[in-house]
Amino acid sequence: MRLEKCWFCSSTIYPGHGIQFVRNDAKIFRFCRSKCHKNFKMKRNPRKVKWTKAYRRLHGKDMTQDSTFEFERKRNRPERYDRNVTEQTLKAIPIITKARHERLKKHISDRQKPGKKKELERDNKELEQDINMLPKKLISNEASAEKTKVKVKVKVVQQQTEDRMEE
Amino acid sequence: MGGKCPHRKVKKRRLSHKTARRGKFLLKADDAVYEELVKLADHGKDAEAKELPVDEDLPGMGQFYCLHCDRYFASESVKDEHYRSKRHKKRVKVMSGPAPHTQLDADLAAGMGMPDNGLKLMSM
Repeated sequence: MRLEKCWFCSSTIYPGHGIQFVRNDAKIFRFCRSKCHKNFKMKRNPRKVKWTKAYRRLHGKDMTQDSTFEFERKRNRPERYDRNVTEQTLKAIPIITKARHERLKKHISDRQKPGKKKELERDNKELEQDINMLPKKLISNEASAEKTKVKVKVKVVQQQTEDRMEE
Repeated sequence: MGGKCPHRKVKKRRLSHKTARRGKFLLKADDAVYEELVKLADHGKDAEAKELPVDEDLPGMGQFYCLHCDRYFASESVKDEHYRSKRHKKRVKVMSGPAPHTQLDADLAAGMGMPDNGLKLMSM
């Protein structure tokens, strides 16, 4: 039994669900529900429809790279049945699913956090715009402090060249 | 193409949506056209270079064909006019963009890895 993915929204299609369209060049399109089928018939591009997985992945809404993505894949080759392997696989499935869900949750919460970079940018802008609001004494002090800084020569240890020699 | 009705005098019945829809199914799909274009580009050919078989049933004996829009025209001049049209230009822009969505894209988006075909059985 193969659980196929919907052409439009990438959800899993379980047996007895959805509809399949075979085009006259023998290409198969599977749809999980009539919603996806109708959207296909309207010639909509899944990359431009916001509720599809293709859109979410393309726009950084979902995880794109994760080690858990390596497990589920189409395997187009015969595999000798091994009872132990099957047992282990069945045990591993819920653990991996759990790990993936947790990572996805983290990804989404990270995404929704205001970026630290953005915060810094905003602060810098504010400083630039409203520097006049500070008392003049402070600014002049800062400027003078900067001026008094003296350049000091520092010896640079050349480690890199030695490393290269070793290689 | 088109949705013209025989009884054009009646104002209400000037366009038939049924016949207008019929042409839609005869057109080649986006990904098929894209594949054809990529194939031609791989051979280092232009979109124009494809040899066209003579077909009596098609307009202009099937000699004036627009690959991007999958349409046949009656003559060279009509084809050139089509090339200047907005519709064609839009289509060319779409076709020169990223590859259309495929089942593989859908699988990857669902969190599957690349298909595993195992070892190659024969070395080429």
